[in-house]
Amino acid sequence: MSWQPKILAFCCNWCSYAGADLAGVERRQMPPTVRIIRVMCSGTVDPAWVLEAFLEGVDGVLITGCHPGECHYLNANYHTARRYRLLEAFVKEFGLEPARLRLEWIAATEGVKFAEVVRDMTDKIRALGPSPLRPEEGVR
Amino acid sequence: MTGQSYLAWAKDPEIRKRGGSGGFVTAALIAGIKEGIIDEVLLVRRIDQFESVPYLTHDPEEVKSASSPQLAAPLNLSSYIPRGVKVAVTTKPCDARAIIERAKRGRFELEDVYMVGLNCGGTMPPVSTVASVRDIFGVDPDTVTGIEIERGELIFKRDRGEDLTISIDEAEKKGYGRRESCKYCNTNIPEMADLACGNWGVPSDQRATFVEILSAKGEELFEAAKKTSMIEFEDATQKELEKRLKIDRRMRELANRRWDEVAGVLDEMDRLAYYINEFSRCIHCESCKIVCPVCVCEADAKCLDMGQGNNHYRISLYNMIRLFHLMDSCIGCGQCEDVCPVDIPLTMIHQRFERRMEEMIGYRPGFDLQKPPLQKPEEGVK
Repeated sequence: MSWQPKILAFCCNWCSYAGADLAGVERRQMPPTVRIIRVMCSGTVDPAWVLEAFLEGVDGVLITGCHPGECHYLNANYHTARRYRLLEAFVKEFGLEPARLRLEWIAATEGVKFAEVVRDMTDKIRALGPSPLRPEEGVR
Repeated sequence: MTGQSYLAWAKDPEIRKRGGSGGFVTAALIAGIKEGIIDEVLLVRRIDQFESVPYLTHDPEEVKSASSPQLAAPLNLSSYIPRGVKVAVTTKPCDARAIIERAKRGRFELEDVYMVGLNCGGTMPPVSTVASVRDIFGVDPDTVTGIEIERGELIFKRDRGEDLTISIDEAEKKGYGRRESCKYCNTNIPEMADLACGNWGVPSDQRATFVEILSAKGEELFEAAKKTSMIEFEDATQKELEKRLKIDRRMRELANRRWDEVAGVLDEMDRLAYYINEFSRCIHCESCKIVCPVCVCEADAKCLDMGQGNNHYRISLYNMIRLFHLMDSCIGCGQCEDVCPVDIPLTMIHQRFERRMEEMIGYRPGFDLQKPPLQKPEEGVK
């Protein structure tokens, strides 16, 4: 089979994880490129995890959380937003294509949006090709 | 008064002669001890003509004997500051920024630290300086008794024989001169310290220190020096103020040009390949973390914890986490590059990340006690 991108998604337990679930229940079409890690809040996503994911060889990282103002823990997604701005600058300076990293606010009812985001991100990464940070073959 | 500038010099002729420019710093430190404002003084004391070591003392005589024209040494004093005592430190801009960053991280109270800032045009690495005397002039380095930088000239003073002079530009073209990180450092006047002292702006026929008072703590020291009549001073004239700012501006321009030369080439390059290549030499000795003045995590740091045993990665997680963590706190002091055994241009790389963050968020580490944007959530910001 031809190369398929691997996308790691961090999904918030309270919104986008349910959103992803809903996308499945509603039979929304999307490519099987995304691997989901459920976190209790997008604010718990340590930038070091994102960096480690890239080093482990994923082609893209998607962070999803509740819309601003709807956080289950009051304001933790604002922390996510702040951290993401730095991560974004980091990725740019590091020379990795900015399209490989994405932050989206997806509510529990937005199955459509989840599928849409995954489709869009997969297309973009497919155009870019495998991540240059992917470990050499034979090792992993 | 805060914001006021003076030309000051030590009354004691011996201090005035020994000090780099009029001995104001030495006099103010001694006055601070005598008046009981400070308990300890942390300064650099020369051990020979090329090298200095940090030195903590409360004896005015020792402060006096430590004074030398070479107050700026290629080391960062912030990690030697004792906790819980009032201490005065002679600081280059990078020392002052490191002190503020460490205070932010709870290493000590900034209230306890009196930063006597020194204008800094760069520091000299001892090893290559010794080598430069031999290589450029063909002279035995042991005959040199002192080094001075004056008007873009590097002067090696000798007791016997003539002084050796070379322009800094020329020395740097030959690969000697200042430390790499100093060449592109664009913070020359320590505006974040309590006092800013130096000889910039002082008329060449006068042996005095140009002093700018930057905070209440700085004023306290200045008043103490006045009260104990350790110093004499006059107000700085407009002409002198302008001359000082002109020198600062010229130094900044030079530094920025150097930065474009060194780091600008990376703009168009495949940076990822460059970083992978540079960091592939890393042997994970962790020296850069140990000397880093803004890194205070010590043994249970995340970079050590997560960064171990993943040797199939293109760049180790240790380096990645350090790059990310220093992005909003690197002050460009150059310590990491100095100790790196495999000569990775670490300071340049960290500074590239830091300056990009600076451009984007407008936050500069080490200037005040403001917390980095990563830790301060603001409502309504995506």
